[in-house]
Amino acid sequence: MARRVFLTGLGFVTPHGRDPEQVFERLYRGESAIRLTRTGTPEMGADHPLAAIDFEPGDLIPKIQALFQSRSAQMAVVAAHGALASAGIPREGDALRDAGVYVGTGVGGTEVIQEAYRVYYEKRSRRTKPSSVPMVMANAAASHISMTFGIRGPSQTYAIACSSSAVSIGEAFRAVRDGYLDIALAGGTEAILNDGSMIVWERVGALASLHPDGAEATSRPFDLGRRGFVLGEGSVMLVIESEERAAARGATPIAEIVGYGASSDAHNLLEPLADGQRLAMLGALRDAGIEREQVGYVNAHATGTPTGDAVEIEAIKEAFGEHAQSLAISSTKSMHGHLVGATGALECAITALALKQRRIPPTANLTDPDPACDLDCVPLVGREAPSLEVAISNSFAFGGSNATLVLKRA
Amino acid sequence: MSSYAFLTNTLVDKYGVQAQAIGPEATLTELGLDSLTLTELLFDLEDKFDVEIPEDRATFRTLGEAAALIDGLVRSKPSTG
Repeated sequence: MARRVFLTGLGFVTPHGRDPEQVFERLYRGESAIRLTRTGTPEMGADHPLAAIDFEPGDLIPKIQALFQSRSAQMAVVAAHGALASAGIPREGDALRDAGVYVGTGVGGTEVIQEAYRVYYEKRSRRTKPSSVPMVMANAAASHISMTFGIRGPSQTYAIACSSSAVSIGEAFRAVRDGYLDIALAGGTEAILNDGSMIVWERVGALASLHPDGAEATSRPFDLGRRGFVLGEGSVMLVIESEERAAARGATPIAEIVGYGASSDAHNLLEPLADGQRLAMLGALRDAGIEREQVGYVNAHATGTPTGDAVEIEAIKEAFGEHAQSLAISSTKSMHGHLVGATGALECAITALALKQRRIPPTANLTDPDPACDLDCVPLVGREAPSLEVAISNSFAFGGSNATLVLKRA
Repeated sequence: MSSYAFLTNTLVDKYGVQAQAIGPEATLTELGLDSLTLTELLFDLEDKFDVEIPEDRATFRTLGEAAALIDGLVRSKPSTG
């Protein structure tokens, strides 16, 4: 029983703000949210170009609950509030009793692990906070969303690095399409911009150092001057509903989710493989029953690493054949950075808004295109796309786990 | 600060409990504290008064009983003078 599945609500806690339409507007204008940011202690900390958020949950999370929620869980709960408000679903009562919640995240409560280690190594004590374990665990965000909104269906967590929330949305989409659920909250969250996390990210060799033209110029996907990616943080949650459920309550769809494909490179922990990415894209199109010629826009995974962006372009060429030359491709990570476990959800939402508004956000900082990325990567300036009907969003993770979502204009 | 004053301040400032709900006869359950919150509160008390609450003595129900337990543990601490 395959049913149509609509995206009916968006909740944002992102480097560009909490209002999805305003965030999209800023992205369309090519505005970066990346700033030089200090993490860590005065003595040991460091300055990095980051897309960090000045985040407080405010009244949305009661104090006694916020105490037991890590930053990433709090962001997810706030994003879920936003998604329900956007969908016009009441937060109280049993409107979500039969819903599911699907959250993607890379790690979990990283600052809580950091604090526990600080107690042990710096204070030389074994007295860590009793709440550490339920705050660190990766599935805490999904649990808090379920508890906050009375969701009694499955609460699932997908930890697949940079593909986490593309997968969480894809799996929620399948659950609704195939009749297991009528409605789901799906998305991702990540909060790793603390020094305990930064010291290990610095050693992966994937982060870009500050560009001479400043923090905003540092994330440069597809550009010859790209040197790596810029980390961001935040959470994006979506309301995903069956056509019948959305229609019954008079909801206005933002976009339709029509396909999801996942694949593995079976190759290397850090080096991507075009063939694995091709399989995800083609699998998603097959799942959607969409011809590749119908696709007009690709929100690329492209993080700004020298290898990764060129491999993705190669994969797009392999997947789309001659039609690759007609695609508009952009990497919005040039402006919002790489939100790791939340990035797939943010980019899926941006893709949905691009379809709704028929406007394609640009790749910022693409001033000197790499000949190895010789497709239309929408440099610098957003563009109107009056005939845009179908778009895909790619997410490719460390570990070689790939996911592609296919969205259609509603 | 007395253990009772510390308890009430912590419940209001850290755990967001309404001040008017607090009194020596109020039970921690009535104040909305679940088991995890209670464990965290005991941890706060141990830290503040430098005592260890033995598991078999963490059986108080009301704020007054909790304060009395802490006061007793503080009194029986070996003097470091």
